[in-house]
Amino acid sequence: MNRSAALVFIISVTMSAPAAFAQTVDMSEWACEFCPFDEGQRADFEFGASSVSDDSAYFGDATGYDESGVYANVDGHGGYDSEKHRLRWTLEDLGLDSRFAELEGGRPGMFDYQLAYREMPRRQFDTTTTIFQQPAGDTLSLPSAWVRAPATSGLTALNSNLVGRNIESDRNILQIGGRYLPTRRFSVSADYRRQEQDGLKMYGGSSFTNASILPMPFDYATDEVDFGVRYSGDNSFVSLGWYLSDFENSNAALNWEQPFTTAPGAESVALAQAPDSRLQQLSLAAGYTFPQYQTVISASAAIGNIEQDAAFLDYTTNSNLTAPALSRATLDGDIDTSNFAIAITSKPFDKARVKFSYRFDERDNKTAQAQWERVIVDTFLSNDPEQNIPYSFERSLLSISGDYDLFDNLRVSAGYDRREIDRDFQEVPEQTEDTGWGQARWRPLQTLDIDVRGGTSKRDIDTYNEGIAATFDQNPLMRKYNLAYRYRQFGELKVTWSPATVPMSITLDALYADDDYTKSQLGITNGDELNVAADFSWSVSTDASIYVNVGIDQIDSEQTGSESFAAPDWRARHEDDFTTVGAGFRLQQIADKFDLQLDYTRSDGETMIDVASGGAGPDTFPDLESELDDLRLRLSYQRSEQLEINLNLRYQRFIAEDWALEGVGPGTIPVVLSLGAQPYSPERFVIGIGARYQFGSNSVTQ
Amino acid sequence: MTSDSLRHFAVLVFLCLPMAIAAQSADDAQAEYSRKGADSCLACHQDNAVVLALFRGKHGVPSNPQSPFGHGQLQCEACHGPGGAHAGRVRRGQERPPVIRFSPDSVTPVAEQNAMCLNCHESEQGFAWHSGPHGNNDVACADCHDSHAARDPVLQTSTQPQVCDNCHQRQRSETRKAFAHPLVEGKMDCSSCHSLHGDSVASSLARQTVNDTCQQCHAEKRGPYLWEHAPVSEDCGLCHSPHGSNHAGMLAKRAPLLCQSCHSQSGHPSVAYQSDGLASGTASKYLLGQSCMNCHSQVHGSNHPSGSKLMR
Repeated sequence: MNRSAALVFIISVTMSAPAAFAQTVDMSEWACEFCPFDEGQRADFEFGASSVSDDSAYFGDATGYDESGVYANVDGHGGYDSEKHRLRWTLEDLGLDSRFAELEGGRPGMFDYQLAYREMPRRQFDTTTTIFQQPAGDTLSLPSAWVRAPATSGLTALNSNLVGRNIESDRNILQIGGRYLPTRRFSVSADYRRQEQDGLKMYGGSSFTNASILPMPFDYATDEVDFGVRYSGDNSFVSLGWYLSDFENSNAALNWEQPFTTAPGAESVALAQAPDSRLQQLSLAAGYTFPQYQTVISASAAIGNIEQDAAFLDYTTNSNLTAPALSRATLDGDIDTSNFAIAITSKPFDKARVKFSYRFDERDNKTAQAQWERVIVDTFLSNDPEQNIPYSFERSLLSISGDYDLFDNLRVSAGYDRREIDRDFQEVPEQTEDTGWGQARWRPLQTLDIDVRGGTSKRDIDTYNEGIAATFDQNPLMRKYNLAYRYRQFGELKVTWSPATVPMSITLDALYADDDYTKSQLGITNGDELNVAADFSWSVSTDASIYVNVGIDQIDSEQTGSESFAAPDWRARHEDDFTTVGAGFRLQQIADKFDLQLDYTRSDGETMIDVASGGAGPDTFPDLESELDDLRLRLSYQRSEQLEINLNLRYQRFIAEDWALEGVGPGTIPVVLSLGAQPYSPERFVIGIGARYQFGSNSVTQ
Repeated sequence: MTSDSLRHFAVLVFLCLPMAIAAQSADDAQAEYSRKGADSCLACHQDNAVVLALFRGKHGVPSNPQSPFGHGQLQCEACHGPGGAHAGRVRRGQERPPVIRFSPDSVTPVAEQNAMCLNCHESEQGFAWHSGPHGNNDVACADCHDSHAARDPVLQTSTQPQVCDNCHQRQRSETRKAFAHPLVEGKMDCSSCHSLHGDSVASSLARQTVNDTCQQCHAEKRGPYLWEHAPVSEDCGLCHSPHGSNHAGMLAKRAPLLCQSCHSQSGHPSVAYQSDGLASGTASKYLLGQSCMNCHSQVHGSNHPSGSKLMR
């Protein structure tokens, strides 16, 4: 070895030494003898039964407790661990229509998998009645002795043919997924999800002057696939993904018989149900951390395509009308989507952080336009061909913000956002929104956090194209609220206080936003929202805690309209108020055997609407109201280390006052045959008893 | 000693000096770790159920080489940092030197806590944390995650909303409105729609756009339809309040006023409907039942050749 080589060798060893030595820890005695590693099987089952006092679609929605009676139920979770494999399973509400089961496992660090199944009941109305019969999946027919009339008052066979039909559906979700990690840095994942949903929806079916609310049968299935490949470096990652969402509808149409007197040939009509469609998306994401200034850059790009090629129905089912041939047999719908994003965060010096982000989304609807000859509600030809409008848009959001630690306990921030939207075929081709905001986060005490944020935003437009509005027969003074000029002021306050001496926390979170549409003569002219939430929680001791929370949300808006199709001649005010209060406590280890938990929630919703037309004073609608009381009590008795006995009580009361439904029977509206859905007003008790048993020897609990 | 020898000696001293410093640093670093690893910790914490629960969770798996308890990993100290001083002897009355702690009342700065988690999870989370709202607001990983729990509540659908509600109180209130997604009942979770670790998408959505996110479960609204309804194609949130509403269908406002915010055609779309149209009066088809949707039921779009008015 010559001198130079020796020198290089020594330098190399010297330079590498610190890193090597710094990472060396003497682990010769790290035996982990006391570590209770999990091995073998264990399981926790809760068997029980509940008695429900009353039927209720409202409370049965999502839970499955929609009918009175006794429900048996099983919950559980558990696992199995061996040296090379880990498995976890969960069972929830097996006895209900909202059951859930999940199995996940794998060899940690090598591969993992998941299999899950969930049912989601949708219970909308159990007070609905209909005359329609359903001889086939996509067809509703009239009773055999039906008598047509121009209005509901003349439907003489109505009452004798009404049959109860709940508006409800069920969604089943199956999910299978897995991930393979051949090396620490590389992973491949694949997930498949299938959702099936079938049942009845309330759906309006119209004739020339009448309408019927139909119990529309539907049967949907959506398959989704997520496939991903990911490589992670020490300071970087790159991932590639493919997403597929394939929607299938078993019913291309809803065919029904008109119950009202109708044009000859229009007795049996059809509307199109949602068409089959397919979305595919290819995405690439990457990130890199630069050591300089703690700079992190992340970027993503996705390109996608939506296709829809379901066969069209005919212009009309009315054989007495001679409609022209369809411009084409299917839509051949084709939309390209693009989404790009980049974000950079950096700390140029210790007290400051800056962030830049940019996002771009595009929906490019390439569906070909054509002329279509409308047959108006299967009654007559419009003789006014229309062109389909493939809406497209480009949307971008640029954000720049910075934080600076003015003092150790005060951070100030400021930011600017610019949003741009370009649209095709709409009244406003180019729209911008500039938002400036400032924020101060002050910590006057170690236990007190005050966060104040406020700002303004101005949404502006290049022009409101009244020519396009005219093609839709719109009043030229109308300014659609999502396209209109808007000036917004907003402020947020968040205060958190956690006294050092008492395990207590008090928080206040408030938002106020005020919108002015000062350039709109027709449409929404102003709106504001006040949303406040406050929480109090206190751990009185290691075994006792209480909490109280309150939420208030007020959303108001004003709008104008014009019956004369000229300047505004009426004004409406819409006020949504909502208040919720929650409170509860938990006592554990009472006499070393009992746990008691109580939770109560009260929610009140109220909507006030008044409309002032002409010179008259405001006409006030009856308030739309909802009240919910929900009380839950759970008492647990720890019989032994393995066995726990539980008693559950639940009281629920919901009252709704809704003038759109109240007193509206199937024949109440002269020209609409409804389903007679009534507002929810259920009250019920649920009482349940169960036993929880733990199998397996491992005593670790949490 | 010749001048060459002196020169060589000087070079060696110069080169060995960093080595000696490094060795000293390594000694310091080594001294900071406990002598027996997890056994040192469990000598005191073995009766703590919260601590022991770790061994039922993903972090306490010895067969996973990437787990803190995998072969050659630093066990408890992989996350809590070197614990030699903490586990060492202290004088009576002297406070035991702290390790890195993960809890809302921890004195360990959030950045330091998160750095420990991101040591292993940064690349997995896609770096979006740094630009997302949680990262920007100094949220600690431990504010949401319980890394010791056998079943981390934030990773279970039935319990996740309660974890998120701890900070998102306003959203919690909204989910208690009369019409809301079933989060309160534990049948859906926040991560069904939101990417909780942050993303460059506004509101940290699970998919690229609001519509892509909603259409995961409501794919029948996707179309494209022959007759599109412009706001539906752009943003579901223009008509719906996804966290909850006083109105059925989570609509932002009651129809017909919602529809009349945009539609001003001559005739029935422009009429000021008043309370005399309720059931006790003329029973207006424009107010009662489904209001405008009594006839224009295809409000999300129609694929019927005669459906331009969204009635077929």
